[in-house]
Amino acid sequence: MQILQTKELEKQYGKEPNIVHALNGVDVTVEQGEFVAVVGMSGSGKSTLLHMLGGLDQPTSGKVIVDGHNLAEMSDEQLTIFRRRNVGFVFQTYNLVPILNVYENIVLPIELDGNTIDESFVDEIISTLGLEKKRDSMPNMLSGGQQQRVAIARALATKPSILLADEPTGNLDSKTSQDVLGILKMTSTKFHQTIMMITHNEQIAQLADRVIHIEDGKIMREGRD
Amino acid sequence: MAIMIIVVIALILYSLTAFFSYRYTKAAFNSIDKILDCILNENAGLPQTIADSRISKLTHKAEKIMQRNALDISQTTQEKEKIQSFISDMSHQMKTPLSGVAMYTDLLLDGNLTLPEQQEFISRIKAGTEKLQWMMDSLIKMSRLEVGAIVLSPVPAGIKQTISDSISSVYGVASRKNITIQTACFEDVFVIQDRKWTCEAMTNILENAVKYSQSNHSIDIAVEPLPLYTKISITDYGIGIPSDEWNLIFKRFYRGKNAKIVDGAGLGLYLASLILQKQGGYILVDSKVGHHTTFSMFLQNCKK
Repeated sequence: MQILQTKELEKQYGKEPNIVHALNGVDVTVEQGEFVAVVGMSGSGKSTLLHMLGGLDQPTSGKVIVDGHNLAEMSDEQLTIFRRRNVGFVFQTYNLVPILNVYENIVLPIELDGNTIDESFVDEIISTLGLEKKRDSMPNMLSGGQQQRVAIARALATKPSILLADEPTGNLDSKTSQDVLGILKMTSTKFHQTIMMITHNEQIAQLADRVIHIEDGKIMREGRD
Repeated sequence: MAIMIIVVIALILYSLTAFFSYRYTKAAFNSIDKILDCILNENAGLPQTIADSRISKLTHKAEKIMQRNALDISQTTQEKEKIQSFISDMSHQMKTPLSGVAMYTDLLLDGNLTLPEQQEFISRIKAGTEKLQWMMDSLIKMSRLEVGAIVLSPVPAGIKQTISDSISSVYGVASRKNITIQTACFEDVFVIQDRKWTCEAMTNILENAVKYSQSNHSIDIAVEPLPLYTKISITDYGIGIPSDEWNLIFKRFYRGKNAKIVDGAGLGLYLASLILQKQGGYILVDSKVGHHTTFSMFLQNCKK
């Protein structure tokens, strides 16, 4: 089952004569439960693609369909609610709320949606990500790798249809990166979580089931198993 | 009189409340009923409302349930396809050595051969049966792991013993090629592992390292503890693997383009990564063609 699909996606920035074509007709599909890596150099359009997929930015033309919903047809308010329920984000920066502790940060998106917290699921995530001991710590007491793990836990807590990760190890040293990647891989198999990860590092992309190469806003190579 | 009025007002209020709550409940039940019908009929006729309302939340959850069902179904179909392709791959892989063995046996039975020819054919038969034997062994392990007949029981255990066990199982082959296996000094780490199977995975990687190295070279093993995982790297200085094949070498029956010169079935690395995955770990490769290849195995640390 397709969880995500783009049709002839295009994005331009700026005005004539200085138009920048960030995306030039991108067709991507992601199946449910898949772990896909998008690999490209900086400026290849990979982050723009992720922003479109997550409904953070509007495409110039083309369609983004997440979970059967066309993002272009939604109002801003609907989009906000839709993102909260269906899309999990992990960025290079951790974006934790500094005045909330680890547990409160993780359950924040659930509470925002006014839902009751599935405690056993949250506990499972916390223990899978090795955060049991840090449950009550404040973000500024944590290392970068730990903060990124909290960010991943927060993204998983709402059981999103898709987890979008933009250079999740961009701010981490190589040791911690390998830890965080292991965690991503494990969650994808353990929770059947659909993940799309963006990276410029070919070595990191190895963990994915499928690697999509993007260059100048176009898909160059797509390796299926 | 006043009491009468109060009673009448109370009665009117009561009946109004009853009426509206009846209508509300009925509407709510109808909506829930409609959602449940949609689930049962597996159609996408769910009302697509995205709002901060209770019905919208219910619809959302209903969608999740339907998705989960769809995922289960597609996984079952995929499994089936996997098994089908596995059987066809497997029979294809076994056909070549088997037909070789059959052909040489026929030639030997026919007679009319010189002694050196006879010996040549016998040694080819031997090579063929050895390959078949090795494939059988791997296939049995693999099928048991995949079917779930073997359940790995990862428990906290020291990594040092596992490493030395796997080194000793490749020691013979390595010393025949005069390859030294060096292990950098490290402190024993307790990781979550099923020692027998970790040893199997590590042996497969070491066997490859020996296979694709030239004589008189060395193989380096290093252990590095990370916050959550322990990394065991095995580096050889053999032919190397180009980066566009990094994602493929762990697939079943995949043989590297550079690897055609050496005998193999494309099972060892697949088995190794399957074993690691079953223990909550993973494998990464890093390589430079003609220079070196490093396989890094990551196993989960024990929770202190």
